[in-house]
Amino acid sequence: MPTDDVDLTIIGAGPAGIAAATTAAEQGLTVLLLDEQTAPGGQVWRQAERLAASRSPVVGADSKSHRRAVAAITALRRSSVDYRPTATVFDVSQELRISWLERESGGSGEADATRHRIRECGSKRLILATGAQERPVPFPGWTLPGVMGVGALQTALKTGGLLPAPGGLVLAGQGPLLLLYCAQILALGGRVAAILDFTPPGRLGAVAGQLPRALIGDPRLMARGLGLLVRRALSRTPVYPAVTGLVARGAGSLERLSFESRGRSRELTCSLLGVHDGVIPSTQMSRLLGLEHRWRDDQQCFEPAVDVDGRSSDHRIWIAGDGGGIEGAEVAGVRGRLAALAVAESLGRDAPAGRSPAALRARRTRCLNARRFLDRVYAPLPLECHLTDETTLCRCEGVTVGAVRQAIDQGAVGPNRVKTSTRCGMGACQGRMCGPSLVRLIASITGTPPDEIGALRIRPPLKPILLGDYLEPEPAG
Amino acid sequence: MRPGRVDMVVVGGGLIGLSSALAAAGSGLSVTLLEAAHCGRFASSASAGGVRSLNRHPAEIPLARAALELWRRLPELVGDDGGFSAPGQIRVAEDGANLAMLERRQAMLQDLGYDHERLIGRTELAQRLPHLAADCHGALIVDDDGFADPLRCVHAFRRACVSAGVTLRERCRVSAIEKDGAGLRVVTPDFEIATGLVVNATGAWGGQFAASVGEPVEIRPAALQMLVTARLPPFVDAVVGSQGHKLSLKQSKEGSVIIGGGYEGEVDPEYGRTRLSLSTVRQNLATAARLFPHLRAARLVRSWAGIEGMMKDDLPVLGASATTPGLVHAFGFSGHGFALAPLVGRLVRDLCLGRSNNFSLAPFAIERFRPN
Repeated sequence: MPTDDVDLTIIGAGPAGIAAATTAAEQGLTVLLLDEQTAPGGQVWRQAERLAASRSPVVGADSKSHRRAVAAITALRRSSVDYRPTATVFDVSQELRISWLERESGGSGEADATRHRIRECGSKRLILATGAQERPVPFPGWTLPGVMGVGALQTALKTGGLLPAPGGLVLAGQGPLLLLYCAQILALGGRVAAILDFTPPGRLGAVAGQLPRALIGDPRLMARGLGLLVRRALSRTPVYPAVTGLVARGAGSLERLSFESRGRSRELTCSLLGVHDGVIPSTQMSRLLGLEHRWRDDQQCFEPAVDVDGRSSDHRIWIAGDGGGIEGAEVAGVRGRLAALAVAESLGRDAPAGRSPAALRARRTRCLNARRFLDRVYAPLPLECHLTDETTLCRCEGVTVGAVRQAIDQGAVGPNRVKTSTRCGMGACQGRMCGPSLVRLIASITGTPPDEIGALRIRPPLKPILLGDYLEPEPAG
Repeated sequence: MRPGRVDMVVVGGGLIGLSSALAAAGSGLSVTLLEAAHCGRFASSASAGGVRSLNRHPAEIPLARAALELWRRLPELVGDDGGFSAPGQIRVAEDGANLAMLERRQAMLQDLGYDHERLIGRTELAQRLPHLAADCHGALIVDDDGFADPLRCVHAFRRACVSAGVTLRERCRVSAIEKDGAGLRVVTPDFEIATGLVVNATGAWGGQFAASVGEPVEIRPAALQMLVTARLPPFVDAVVGSQGHKLSLKQSKEGSVIIGGGYEGEVDPEYGRTRLSLSTVRQNLATAARLFPHLRAARLVRSWAGIEGMMKDDLPVLGASATTPGLVHAFGFSGHGFALAPLVGRLVRDLCLGRSNNFSLAPFAIERFRPN
């Protein structure tokens, strides 16, 4: 039973968490690595081990980073890290006592495999490596079945090899992930009926001055990005530029889209719409812990306040990877190593020979130049682009933009007040899907800076937990 | 900023404070309400929302019964029904010993002349709660008890206060109450208000307030935990409790099941923070699942804890200050003040104005804590 204290618990086994765990274990720390998935890799390296065995073309376009993923995961598997898959962390106390739900392996039959058990462990230090989530893009009809995040579509592709039905898929939005997914679909012989590009006209020109610096920063990333652009151009996918006013319609599920492109009204039939406007840090856990957050105006999201090594406002807690601000998978491993070295130092371990934080920091800075270029090309769209008062903001509780506006008119001054008067953010997702938009909406209605508005308070459990799983197991008979 | 002089200052913007301000404003007083956080922040919005006369301390029964009448009239009082409905409250006996305790309680109430609590046997209990575990022996029931939506109530009372002309000042912490000639002066970091009447409706912080005017009481801040499941098909209308275990369980109109009953987490009253305790959450859920076994398949989606002021004798402090003329206390409702709130506001107003009414408030007097 892992109920004894460990030196370090890391939550999330993506590129940052894996690098942090392996590095910390090399420093002689006892490390617990908790991850919700069945295998290490997080979102970016999802199913990396399995895909390596199957030589899937999904990874073909990006085989260098894939080899790096497999190497990192192999190192983790060989380390002393107590790595626990299927572990859903649902609470972390101020004393850094971590509670999670874990699938019981044991048992003889198939049915026993679904038994879950609550476990707890105290930890001297904590690294949150919980990564990013897609930025929710509310527009009229976004709650219809058939409208999904591109990230979710890509997950289906990576885990199940799920290719959307030909002709039915439209992609809308902007950002590198949208292009990467489009390229993957085309590489697998699929078809994308259309791309609705949300990027306002002229933005690429406005940021072109940054291009040389970005190229110097990270040639690999730029080559990858430009390669995707070329691939998209060469394919026969129709692209509608400067799309606004997107509306999804259908009886029961998505059937058609209407929108404006360059001032002309358009209609398309489609059964599956992938929407994307970039990713934002996943802050549920950092907010549960009451860490300080700051509003990133250029990214229109909160991120935890951290120092160069990822140390948060709580001296025992670090954030590594995209959860501490979106910098991408390339840098996530570097940030994981930096955090792990800082943790080891804080626990009185001597600085290791040959592992210089200064060199890691410099590498991160180089990569960031390329990232800043992408950030500016794909700066988040204004929330109002597609919103109307009838648009649903909170899909769990069915709360509209108009209802939120009314609550604000009646004196609800922040997200938690709006929540108590409208139920916005009270559903099972605990505001993951509405919280980021809610802050932007309040800011735009009231003119208050988001740092003053704050975010929704987070309550345990972080994820819905089966009531039966909370109960002590029946004594074995 | 100097709001100047008002007839009454209510300190604390929970339901008790809001209700007091509303009643006083309704009687023509000029009222300012000062709230350190925002209205309903601590106990009121974290309440389970039970409107219960069942199993009350005898001293509270007349208040709880009279409050029920006001709950039914809430739309005319605050312009909203607060989500109130009266499907009954039921206190289940899981075995013979607990049933005997319920029988003794009913006999005691009959001696006092009350007949609102009714003893029901297995058959009626099974009809009333078809999803209840089969081995329960009986129950006490109050047919016209019920529950309301605490958040809706806070907002409704707050809006009604504003309409009635109450000046609401949130994020405004009172630093002292001082005597000022024949009246009182309420001091905050930004301004002072001269007034004749002050109401201490500061909940878990009521003891500090009372101590500051020289009448300390025994009060303990407690974080009472509330647990909420994802929506389920309707399976229970009444609010269900248990004689043998701490439990309060109800299903909201939205379908979620709200589970509480007085299980405590940890509390940091200085910073207004609470923390849930996994072990008491598990006890609470085990009790709920014992009475309603199908809940094992429900999903817990959220939990929280408010900060309540618990008095040693479980009764509130409701009455005039013994040291400070013009000050009236209404705090320490020990986790069951929500149901009384609509009435308590009127009682506070009567205390302030020296009006008589039909209620005996002697058991709630602050003098009970005075050392002999």
